[in-house]
Amino acid sequence: MGVPFDFAPERPEHIDAILNGLDRYNPETTQVFQDYVTEQCETKTYDCYANLALLKLRNAVLTVMRLCSYQFNPHLTKDETITNILVKSLTVFPSPDFSLALHLLPPHILTPASASSALPAAGDAPLSEAVQKLNVLNNLLAQASYAAFWSTLDSDDLYADLIADVAGFEELIRIRIALTISQSVREIERAVLESWLGLQGETFDKFVNGVCGWEIEGTVVKVPLNKENEAKGTIVRENVKMEQFSRVIRRAYEQPA
Amino acid sequence: MSAFQNGGAPARAIDDESDVEEEALVADYREQVQYEGMEELEPVTSMSMAQQTDDIQSRLAAAAQPLDFSAPLEVKFASYDNYCSLFHFILNSDGPVDLEPPSYYWAWDVIDEFIYQFNSFCSYRNRVARQGANEEEIQILREAPNTWGCYSVLNVLYSLIQRSQINEQLAAMKRNEEPMAVAGDYGSKSLYRMLGYFSIIGLLRVHCLLGDFSLALKTLDDIELNKKAMFARVMAAHFTTYYYVGFSYMMMRRYADAIRMFSHILIYVSRTKNFQKNAQYDSISKKNDQMYALIAICVAFHPTRLDDTIHTALREKYGDQLLKLQRGGPESLPIFEELFKSSCPKFISPTPPDFDNPELNVDPLDHHLAIFMDEVKTNMWSPTVKSYLRLYTTMDLKKLAGFLEVEPEKLRGWLLVNKQRSRQIRWTDNGLLDGEVVNSNDLDYAMQGDLIHISEAKVGRKLVDWYLRNLARTY
Repeated sequence: MGVPFDFAPERPEHIDAILNGLDRYNPETTQVFQDYVTEQCETKTYDCYANLALLKLRNAVLTVMRLCSYQFNPHLTKDETITNILVKSLTVFPSPDFSLALHLLPPHILTPASASSALPAAGDAPLSEAVQKLNVLNNLLAQASYAAFWSTLDSDDLYADLIADVAGFEELIRIRIALTISQSVREIERAVLESWLGLQGETFDKFVNGVCGWEIEGTVVKVPLNKENEAKGTIVRENVKMEQFSRVIRRAYEQPA
Repeated sequence: MSAFQNGGAPARAIDDESDVEEEALVADYREQVQYEGMEELEPVTSMSMAQQTDDIQSRLAAAAQPLDFSAPLEVKFASYDNYCSLFHFILNSDGPVDLEPPSYYWAWDVIDEFIYQFNSFCSYRNRVARQGANEEEIQILREAPNTWGCYSVLNVLYSLIQRSQINEQLAAMKRNEEPMAVAGDYGSKSLYRMLGYFSIIGLLRVHCLLGDFSLALKTLDDIELNKKAMFARVMAAHFTTYYYVGFSYMMMRRYADAIRMFSHILIYVSRTKNFQKNAQYDSISKKNDQMYALIAICVAFHPTRLDDTIHTALREKYGDQLLKLQRGGPESLPIFEELFKSSCPKFISPTPPDFDNPELNVDPLDHHLAIFMDEVKTNMWSPTVKSYLRLYTTMDLKKLAGFLEVEPEKLRGWLLVNKQRSRQIRWTDNGLLDGEVVNSNDLDYAMQGDLIHISEAKVGRKLVDWYLRNLARTY
């Protein structure tokens, strides 16, 4: 733990250079960032700080487009990259990354579809719809409604399209869910865990035994004890340092009574 | 004030003793306030300079003057042009411009006013586009899309920072090296150094206004937030910095850090308020109230013991609201909304308005509020759950679900959420974005099937602080 927010172990040098310079606002670097997002999707790596920079860059590009009345290379604002970034940030829940990305999208993106779909001219309607769909998923994950998350994911073909680019999306989410479960659970009924992980039968056994390293005993799954699910009572005592008294002690020497 | 111009490390022989430091700072501030009226009497260093410099001096002074909020569009346009030509002159002349800033807080005033005008212009333009009523103004704004553009403003701030090598200078100071060695031709002049320095604070603010909270905090990487920092010498800068840092932390769900920031500055203000009598105090007292509201929000997310001064003032100002926030549930939602709306910065839309589709020009405040409220809703049952768990050491999940009149499945979710949210990143050292995950909850639990095991972390009484404070008072 204790990794700074802007740190990503796999970040290549050229991306680092862009992030630390003014090129992070240069529309010409869009392609570089887009390739980097694609790479993250393929290799299951993740770099939130760089992805947020791309969302910001997109706003710069949109601004330029508006100023030049749309005579700008439209591939620079590829919607897939935006949704890929959002899908990627789902895989690191419960961190605030998804919300941070949402904050950087244009303000109208979350207004209900009925208002924006009536305006095909706006061009953003499909993106707006996709973002709102992903936001539903994000809220389900945040509220730990995992069973509802899996059924929602299956309920609409659009979701399948949205997550198609992100390699191992379901696996990554399952690992995250398992992680949050291991924080608060020592034992859990098999049926409940099945619904939370969206897995049944043999694949369930394989995931729980193999990936999580948990034990299945009949209808109960046992999670080994860890620091988080121990729930041990403690008494926090005050830690007193000599330095805290230095002023008092010095006073004693400064002003002899 | 010379200490400030020598690089911000006052040559006072004091150790890292915050109380002594704070007193010195307070005394220093008192001095500033008292001498403010005598500004004109001070001999101007550029007496011997040519007439042209006088003209520049008056432009420098004008740039720091607040613009009337209700000024007509033409005046706002003209003001933008003035800033552009002034910054162009400062940044793009042959070599560094040989000018002394009119006063040591001038640089802050200029950057502050520049961003304030940018901010209010953007809000105004967005409103005009949204309402779509005033054809005449729409036409004017449509024809001048570059005026007060977001990227021109960012460009100015970044350029001032780069020209002055201020980040390099600050980094050198952090390593206890001589900043002048890396300052370069521009950065060694106080005009550039001060403009550069306050541009960093300005950048923090603009990023936050645009909704980029992580970059806002990242911007301050080279500035150490302590009472010796340069910004601490200008009250308004000190205040603004902590407000935006605290707000950014809050939006990154780092409530403990946000509370620490707000508390720090509010305590400082409460210590200095007796000798703040000028107009500046009005704006400070408004922001002051906003920060108390934000503390109330943060405390609701992250119950913690506050400093006594803060706690008393908070109860006075927002007692009822705080109670409702802390109780959680759907009744708390309108309060969260109300407090957020009244105390957030005036957000700016990152893209210029679309005059052809007024429906698309949503108020950026609504956007950020909606995202924030999702987080509030995720958390709103935590207080309820905790209030029950506190009463037991073991509890049956189905029984508790019965008490709460919810589905057991739902309760399991609440328990998981509360546990996740009690794991927070908290700053320990280095940059503002750094931190370690700590358990911020005094209540811990684990589920064994349907049985919830509950344990409490009891905090022993903290006596040292109380003891020292009383000792300092009497002795």
